[in-house]
Amino acid sequence: MNTFQLSLAILVAGGLIPLVTYRHMMLTKWLYLGTTLVGCLIGLFSLFSSIHRLEDLAWSWPWLHVFTLEFSCDSLSVFFLLPIFLICPLACLYSLAYFDKAGHSLRTAVSFCCTNILIAAMALVSVAANILTFALAWEIMSLSSYILVMYEYEKEQTRAAGYLYFLFAQAGALLIFAAFGVGYSYSGGMAFAAFSSIPEQVKFLVFFLAFLGFGSKAGIVPVHIWLPHAHPAAPSHISAIMSGVMIKMGIYGILRMYMALAVTDIAVGQIVLAVGMITGILGILYALGKSHMKGLLAYSSVENVGIMLIGIGLGMMGVAKDNMVMAGFGFGGALLHMLNHSIYKSLLFFGAGAVIKAAGTGNIEELGGLMKRLPVSGRAFLAGSVSISGLPPFNGFVGEFLIYLAAFQCLNVTHHLNLLLAILAIVSLAIIGSLTIFCFTKLVGVVYLGEPRTAAAAKAREGGWAMTLPMVVLAAACLAIGIFPESAMRFAFWGMSGLGDFSRLDPDLPATIGANLALGSRVFILLFFVVFLARKLLYRGKEIAQGPTWGCGFTRPTTRIQYTGSSFSRTMIRFFRPFVLIRETVVQLTQIFPSRTVYDCRTEDVAEIGWHRGVASPLLTVFGKLRWIQHGNVQLYIGYIILTILIVLLSLIV
Amino acid sequence: MESALSLGIALLTAPLFPGIILKVKAFFAGKKGPPLLIKYYTLMKLFRKGSVYSTSTSFVFRMGPLVSCAGAIMVLLFFPLGGGAPLVSFHGDAILIFYILAIARFFTIAAALDTASPFQGMGAAREAFFGTLAEVTIFATLILFYRMTGALGFGEYFTGAAPISLFGRDGALLVLVIVAMFMVLLTENSRVPVDDPATHLELTMIHEVMILDHSGPDLGLIELASFYKLFFYAAFVSLIICPLDPARGMGNLPVFYGVIASIYLAVGLVESATARLKMDRVAKFILTSATLVFFAAILTMGFVQ
Repeated sequence: MNTFQLSLAILVAGGLIPLVTYRHMMLTKWLYLGTTLVGCLIGLFSLFSSIHRLEDLAWSWPWLHVFTLEFSCDSLSVFFLLPIFLICPLACLYSLAYFDKAGHSLRTAVSFCCTNILIAAMALVSVAANILTFALAWEIMSLSSYILVMYEYEKEQTRAAGYLYFLFAQAGALLIFAAFGVGYSYSGGMAFAAFSSIPEQVKFLVFFLAFLGFGSKAGIVPVHIWLPHAHPAAPSHISAIMSGVMIKMGIYGILRMYMALAVTDIAVGQIVLAVGMITGILGILYALGKSHMKGLLAYSSVENVGIMLIGIGLGMMGVAKDNMVMAGFGFGGALLHMLNHSIYKSLLFFGAGAVIKAAGTGNIEELGGLMKRLPVSGRAFLAGSVSISGLPPFNGFVGEFLIYLAAFQCLNVTHHLNLLLAILAIVSLAIIGSLTIFCFTKLVGVVYLGEPRTAAAAKAREGGWAMTLPMVVLAAACLAIGIFPESAMRFAFWGMSGLGDFSRLDPDLPATIGANLALGSRVFILLFFVVFLARKLLYRGKEIAQGPTWGCGFTRPTTRIQYTGSSFSRTMIRFFRPFVLIRETVVQLTQIFPSRTVYDCRTEDVAEIGWHRGVASPLLTVFGKLRWIQHGNVQLYIGYIILTILIVLLSLIV
Repeated sequence: MESALSLGIALLTAPLFPGIILKVKAFFAGKKGPPLLIKYYTLMKLFRKGSVYSTSTSFVFRMGPLVSCAGAIMVLLFFPLGGGAPLVSFHGDAILIFYILAIARFFTIAAALDTASPFQGMGAAREAFFGTLAEVTIFATLILFYRMTGALGFGEYFTGAAPISLFGRDGALLVLVIVAMFMVLLTENSRVPVDDPATHLELTMIHEVMILDHSGPDLGLIELASFYKLFFYAAFVSLIICPLDPARGMGNLPVFYGVIASIYLAVGLVESATARLKMDRVAKFILTSATLVFFAAILTMGFVQ
């Protein structure tokens, strides 16, 4: 048994303990946290101790006498394992304070158990070496996360969200299995390594079946619609794990399939790039329109997956065009962005959870002024928001910068379509960047700044250290990667080294670019401190007074006159019609004796409407018409069975 | 050494040029106008004062001026002032610079929302909207420059092996860029016809309303940052109009500052001759500039040869 298996065993055992000891909640929590921490630390240790001999981490188990479950580890797996072992223990620590309702102890124990099974399943997905192992681990991952989403199952909203997630997870899994099946029928082997031998035209089919399947996990438009429903329904640390780590498994699957199939057709890269651009722009637009904190963050995950796909698409195009610099920047940028996104997205979900816990609502229009009431988590959330907006000196910029470089490299090509795609990629990255700033200034500004809009928000207080500590750690990591990007960049380039033949790539390239970005961040921080000191000097001995905000002559201001989130984003969203639909319900004063006025504004996801009108409703109509088949008459049911068997037998003979 | 010296000169003289705009406007209004050094007097006045802070605000409100000012100075650090090599530069610094300007915008917007004032929220929404649109023009320009020179940094654009030149092979395309960047200059620095720095009604303001609650040295830092930002855009346009030979060193400075002064003159002329646009027309104005650059970028694809 190697240390990696040991860590997984400890994680699973740590998950099973709460099922036994759930009557003593305090003991359970500490035991659970202890075992999970130990498990993840051993996992990290096993990765770092064998980073130069990754073949040592391979093993296999026989299963059902016929199959073997094979596991192996390469640099790509290690890169995706890292966030699993780093983010999940922080989420577990956070959950200790987040789950504090008495009377929910069994439910909490089940949630603890499933969390650890999810962690172990994600780790197994990353190291699965054949399609059967992968499929098995993938299903365990989907099912355990489904149970985690259903924590508050007594709420109808949660059940609906869970059902939607289940539907998309299983439909996605079906597509993946279909891809595996087609691949198996041509290659005749279970191992991923055998997939490279299948014919070129079939590779295309296999890749896009898998792409769509993995895309439904990662949150690619239009199969993303479960995200904005499942995240607000799930407990916050589960959202953090799902958004920060689990949806990355979709990205991992896409990269693994690409690597296994060794497709060299440039059309694959072009399509992935185009899907990435659409996903990125629409994701952030819908995020801008959301008024639930976690719904907004979920859409922002869609956007970040879009950015990663832009990087991956550019990388694939680079490999196809034999432009390894471009390929390196594209894949390296996508991986680095993936790592950064797991850090700041979990931070932001933790922050959203802290707000929901403190104020009792995640609706941003009912919050405000929380920076003074939740000082620690507010500051951490601000750091996360700046990072996710991709602004230097924080980490978000580092990955996006590499993807920009890849896109600019693509401008060197001569083919018109590629050139056009490169131009569109750069412009979309720029638009996504500024829309993210728009979106997160809205989130920070409306939730944390200004005055509280409701009494509940005014009474909000900071949660315990178990909730704030993970956020502080993650915020520090955001800044650290921003200021010292060299090693992160070298790690990302190492992670993608199996995706193409990078032997001709200058090995000092990541270090050079990392040093440049480090210089940029450090110069900015230095200047910030210079200006900070200058300001201190200017204010020395000066009179500083407090007063109300200038109300522009209005004498009776209330906190309700503040700009709301929806009014802040309205112009921008209207600009992007018809890709985002705004539905407004307005009841204005009409009579002499005024009745109650109402204003309700929501933005609608075009993809969701499309699924509803184009797929769900027609299906329901058809199935409604076939309802007569289900009549409850047992004899006739037996008749159906006989008929089916007959048809099958006849079709076999003919 | 020369780079540091020209940076120092730029940092010291940037507040001088907005005075030119005021003089031009006063001339067209038939007035005498404030002295040329008016902005220095304003800064000195503001730096001498204390401050009043709104009780609604938190530390984010105080971060706004700091980040804006640090960002604006950083931009000049990377810019080849006077055609000489910039103090700091690397391949790709153009992206970094526009992201540094974006972090300044992030904190200006956050500071405005921190005051809990509806007017400031309105201004913030407009600033974020127009800033987003202007970004398209800026990155289209970077694409065009990359197509023309293969460079991705301000130092490389103007002092590199194949500097951008109006008189070069693709020089005609730069005419479109000059017009577009001048439009971005007007947008990003809140000048007429996008915004009117002299307006008195909070409802119609964009940038001015966002900084209503800042006072004293904080306001001074914001003003200083806006002078630097305007200076950066003017210097950018001026180097495209009139490329300078890096070998001439400090000898370039008179020409450089002469062209910059004429750009401020042009801003003053625009402000005297036009009224500001209706708010819903501004988006069209900015997108026009983006279209111009895109047209130029498409021409480099070589459909027409």
